[in-house]
Amino acid sequence: MKEGLRQSMAWLHTWAGLVFGWLLFAIWLTGTLAYFQDEINHWAHPEVPVRALDARASLASAQTFMQAQAADSQRWFISLPDHRNPEMGVMYQVPGKTGRGSFSRNLVDPQSGAKQETRESRGGEFFYRFHFELQMGYPWGRWLASAAAFVMFFTLVSGIITHKKIFKEFFTFRPGKAQRSWLDGHNAIGVLILPFHLLISYSSLVIFMSMIMPASILTSYHGKVTDFYADVFPSAAVASAAATPAPMLPLTQLYDTAVQKLPGAGFSRVGVEHAGNSNATVEFTPDDSGSIAYRAADGLVLSAVTGEVLSRPQDTPVPIIIGAGFYGLHMAHFAGPVLRWLYFLGGIGGTVLIGTGLVMWLNKRQLKHAKAGVMPFELRLVEVLNLASMAGLLWAIPSFLLTNRLLPMAMEGRSDWEVRMFFIAWGLSLLHALCRRGKRAWVEQLLVAAGLMGALPFVSALTTDHGLWQSIGSGDWAIAGVDLTAFAGALFLGWTVRKLLKKKAAAPSRKAATRESVPVLESEASR
Amino acid sequence: MMPAVLLSYVGFTALCLAMEKHHGELLRRKPSPLHKRGLAVAGWLLLALSLALAVQQAGWAFGLVNWTAGLMGSAVLLVWLLPYQPRLALGIAGASLLIAPLTVFGVV
Repeated sequence: MKEGLRQSMAWLHTWAGLVFGWLLFAIWLTGTLAYFQDEINHWAHPEVPVRALDARASLASAQTFMQAQAADSQRWFISLPDHRNPEMGVMYQVPGKTGRGSFSRNLVDPQSGAKQETRESRGGEFFYRFHFELQMGYPWGRWLASAAAFVMFFTLVSGIITHKKIFKEFFTFRPGKAQRSWLDGHNAIGVLILPFHLLISYSSLVIFMSMIMPASILTSYHGKVTDFYADVFPSAAVASAAATPAPMLPLTQLYDTAVQKLPGAGFSRVGVEHAGNSNATVEFTPDDSGSIAYRAADGLVLSAVTGEVLSRPQDTPVPIIIGAGFYGLHMAHFAGPVLRWLYFLGGIGGTVLIGTGLVMWLNKRQLKHAKAGVMPFELRLVEVLNLASMAGLLWAIPSFLLTNRLLPMAMEGRSDWEVRMFFIAWGLSLLHALCRRGKRAWVEQLLVAAGLMGALPFVSALTTDHGLWQSIGSGDWAIAGVDLTAFAGALFLGWTVRKLLKKKAAAPSRKAATRESVPVLESEASR
Repeated sequence: MMPAVLLSYVGFTALCLAMEKHHGELLRRKPSPLHKRGLAVAGWLLLALSLALAVQQAGWAFGLVNWTAGLMGSAVLLVWLLPYQPRLALGIAGASLLIAPLTVFGVV
């Protein structure tokens, strides 16, 4: 019999979803956390005080720091404190080094210009990086994440084609009906926030388009990718260093010029090139709050020696606005608190979509073998991977954050140990999944995850002087938000465990429910 | 963003009530064809109005983003409430309909 489009799409949806689902679950959940990257960064460095923002004074401090630490460095970048994160980052190229890894990253006190004394931690940056680099070396993680994004995209499309009654069942969710409810939930969360799922998976391909599909650039520019970027972003091409040394103007003076030239703009980032040279430039990048497109326009470039304007933000060509628009919509730098929380919830929705899909794949096939009582190897494999990839990540994330609070402040290689604990916890969950089975394994794993998350606010209150009460009292909602979200996560997992246990207690009535859902199961299981 | 979110919730509720199955579950009666048509038209009009308000408030770029986000959020809230708290789901729609004009004119 010739298969119809819908059957073949269902097959694709089922198997592509299974094979990439474990990876996609991790990508989506860590990416969801990355929407609060700045807040988690702040949480991870509670010693950094929240102060009134003063970009001018901060820049003066950054320059003081650079003169004291690396007066000879020719390239440095300052990311200014903002209302989401009070940290000021100063990154400079170590003199005499080039390429990746030649930069030194520092947190600097925006008031004094001294190195900020705080615990060494990667904070939210870790989740953000892991989300698309997967802790693999460049560029392998990016390739794997892009492949996963591609699979996500066509799994969504094949899911739409497979789903027979998008409009008829648009408002349908029937809880408490075993397999039927899982499918309803999966469909509802997929259909109701479909625009978000499509946007995120498509835009991630746009973000990496020059890596995934470089052919057009390589042929048109005869293999010289840098020429392409010079054409697309003309002002980014910086004059080469001149041989004559020249003193640089104070950043405060340059800042005043920038404010004068671009009235009303706030600046998030200041970059200095060829410092100490007569060709030295300073670029002031406007912050992202005013525009959805991500850095579609370049910043304002001034000569660091004379203060003269070298280039202004240009009117951006439409194709770049479209590309930068997708980039911006994915990263959501523009989002205020309400929209940011909606982005976060959307990300949780995508994670749940993948999770319910993985659970359903196993449930359907398990029922067939329920009578025999023996589980074939491949189903056991999926069961273990489901547990370790989903519940295991819920061990890993709070373990990473707990490690931030529990390791000694001045420990050598502290931030490496945080990352190591993330993977150790994940590995432990895999070991547990190998030893235990079925519902008992889920209950135990979720209880551990709930315990780790629930412990976070308490450990934080005991080990720092930025516990929940203090941070609420001082209005530091970034720190309080991380604590509260972790606690809410623990409550949610506790509720899930209760549901799982209740189902066991109500076992006699389950037979009726299974009989009722048999027609559904048969049609779904044939996929 | 507020009036747009409220109105898109009401719009979805109307579209939901325009379907015979949900109408029966929620209001325990069978809607007449005219009734169904009226609810469907009202639902679509409310969604369109909520788009207009969002764009008017924040411009096309941010308006469209806010509207889409509010649309998805309100739909998820409604579908999640329906099986557990159907009366609350309808109550929120009623309250939203009352509050929405006040938020448009900046009273609330």
